[in-house]
Amino acid sequence: MAKIDELKEEARKVLRDGTVKYIIGYGNGTNGWPAAPIFVKKPEDVDRFIWDPTCVHNLVRFLIDEKRRKARQKQPDKRPVGIFVKGCDSRAIVVLLQEKFIERSDVYILGVSCEKAGVVDAAKLSKKLAGKMPKRVELDDQNRFVVTTESGKIEAAADELLAERCRECPANFPVIYDVLSGEKVKRTPDKPYGSLEKIESLSAEERWTFWKAQLDKCIRCYACRSACPMCYCDECVVDSINLAVTADTTADEKAQRIRWVQRSAESSENFVYHLVRAMHLAGRCIDCGECERVCPLDIPLRFLNKKLEKEAKELFGYDVGFDASLPALISCFRDEDPQDFIR
Amino acid sequence: MEKTLAKKSFPQWVKALDSWTVYVPRKDDEGRWDFVRADGQETALDISQTTLPPKKILFPQREVFLEFRKTQAGNLETTEIKEVLPEVHPTVVIGARPCEARAAWLLDKVFGGEFQDIYYWKRREPTTLVGLACTPPPSDNCFCPSVEGSPHSEEGLDVLLTDLGDRYYVKSMTAKGEALISAAPKLFSEPSAEDQKRVKAAHAESEKQIKRQVKDARGISEKLKGMFDSPFWDEEAMSCLRCGICTYLCPSCHCFDINDEIETSSPLRGQRVRTWDTCQFPDFTMHSSGHNPRPDKASRLRQRLLHKFQYFVQVYGQIMCVGCGRCITLCPVGIDIIKVLDKVRQDGD
Repeated sequence: MAKIDELKEEARKVLRDGTVKYIIGYGNGTNGWPAAPIFVKKPEDVDRFIWDPTCVHNLVRFLIDEKRRKARQKQPDKRPVGIFVKGCDSRAIVVLLQEKFIERSDVYILGVSCEKAGVVDAAKLSKKLAGKMPKRVELDDQNRFVVTTESGKIEAAADELLAERCRECPANFPVIYDVLSGEKVKRTPDKPYGSLEKIESLSAEERWTFWKAQLDKCIRCYACRSACPMCYCDECVVDSINLAVTADTTADEKAQRIRWVQRSAESSENFVYHLVRAMHLAGRCIDCGECERVCPLDIPLRFLNKKLEKEAKELFGYDVGFDASLPALISCFRDEDPQDFIR
Repeated sequence: MEKTLAKKSFPQWVKALDSWTVYVPRKDDEGRWDFVRADGQETALDISQTTLPPKKILFPQREVFLEFRKTQAGNLETTEIKEVLPEVHPTVVIGARPCEARAAWLLDKVFGGEFQDIYYWKRREPTTLVGLACTPPPSDNCFCPSVEGSPHSEEGLDVLLTDLGDRYYVKSMTAKGEALISAAPKLFSEPSAEDQKRVKAAHAESEKQIKRQVKDARGISEKLKGMFDSPFWDEEAMSCLRCGICTYLCPSCHCFDINDEIETSSPLRGQRVRTWDTCQFPDFTMHSSGHNPRPDKASRLRQRLLHKFQYFVQVYGQIMCVGCGRCITLCPVGIDIIKVLDKVRQDGD
């Protein structure tokens, strides 16, 4: 597991110099999860930063907030924001750069390599602990997770607790960064889409039954959308009001606005919401797994996004989030792109 | 009325309640708890905290208010509107937590009083709440005693069960509760003096097992009055994602939205429905003009805290948080209401 002492030193320096506005990183969490996002403004607070296998959150999401905040300010502070990223998170930055949502000069990237392992899966861990809360999770020299709870320590093989996405990760080190901690360990997963095998083997009817049961659980808290670094639309199709309403919008216009998705959390509406989101993430999702992690009802949303990632790879040979100079998949056309869908 | 019920008789009791629709907590394959309809597979009540509190039974996420349709006969256009009222069979929720029942008691105040919410009461009145005292507490983040509740509180409950190892101590506080005992009187025994002693001890012990605490909630409530414009909220909301987890899974949050949901537009047919709403969403309190008095996530986090700890106290005299800890356990970014309140207590001005 990479150490972040050098990164902390660097963080202290850029905060002291005033090269960055603030730094988004991981600090001690609360009684729900050991790590949580923190925002550090002063060099003396840099020691609050931690790095362990519970640093699951994709902090790139907060760059969207930062952009919105700047848009509201009359004279925004244009200095970059420092941000800690893992491999997957760094690929989210690449996509945001490709889509010109942010500029390279907006961010100062402190990259941490996951090296041989990755982060723990909250659901697997909670099952393992049977309701107990983890106080601390470490990775030992033998790549085994050591979980501390109030009633003692539990050890587990990396594979047992590692997030599924980490087991299928194509590059578990940052692909873009200003400073890097840890080694760039290239790993070729045996089965990059292994988690899809089971669901792909089901018949269409079985898949329907599976997804109906899963999506019927959805309460539309939109945590998946809220945690996603790619869901940055100012106005989302599912919000019950059109945010473009102005003082001049007439009552008739408001009454007749098109509602693509009703607010009721029912099968049909839940399907529309989740499928719209999945389609919007095709060729954009970098598989940070945040949507699935944050879901309070444990809906396996990653299947949807991983499937579309696989389609992008198989149909267009496109790997998401590796090259900021490439155009985004859905905004480019190449002669060799498959055309057999045109009839 | 006070009785005891052998745990081995619990399944028979549930079966005997065949004149009621019975809900019990049940664990699914992924280890997630939910209140589901009893199906005869019940063994005994387990230590659990369901993801969704039983609020969903009294105040469902979707409630149809009315149905409307337009019909055209020649040139004559008529609009039919039909009121829809929930028709609820007598219902029992077994294994509700005392905090969840206390939340129902708070909801009774919101949906009762000067304006009676008929949709709520059509569900609430035929529902009997059978609580299970929390021995031990179901979550590491439980803090009910800090917000004027207790792991064996009776508010909102009709019956309180306390686990005494091989049996439950059954205390019925209402006629509704007694009806459940009368459904299978032979299963229940008179409690011995020893049982009464043990139940007291279990209750006292349960309070000691609560790990987390908010100090001086009433004092915090006072302090919050001067904090509306504080930059504190910006700081605390930095990591907030603006999802609805903390509010949708809260036993006492009760904000709702009303929309006309149109099934077809020609001929026009649809329903007016009430759905859960949350102060955390961008369209919450959005005015018709497009202006929103709560434009950012700091003002939304502030709304959640102030509603629970200031406004509700001013209007109803009670704190609108029951201390179940769900919003702490399930927050994707670790926002911890206890820590936020503690900061208010220490530094708020």
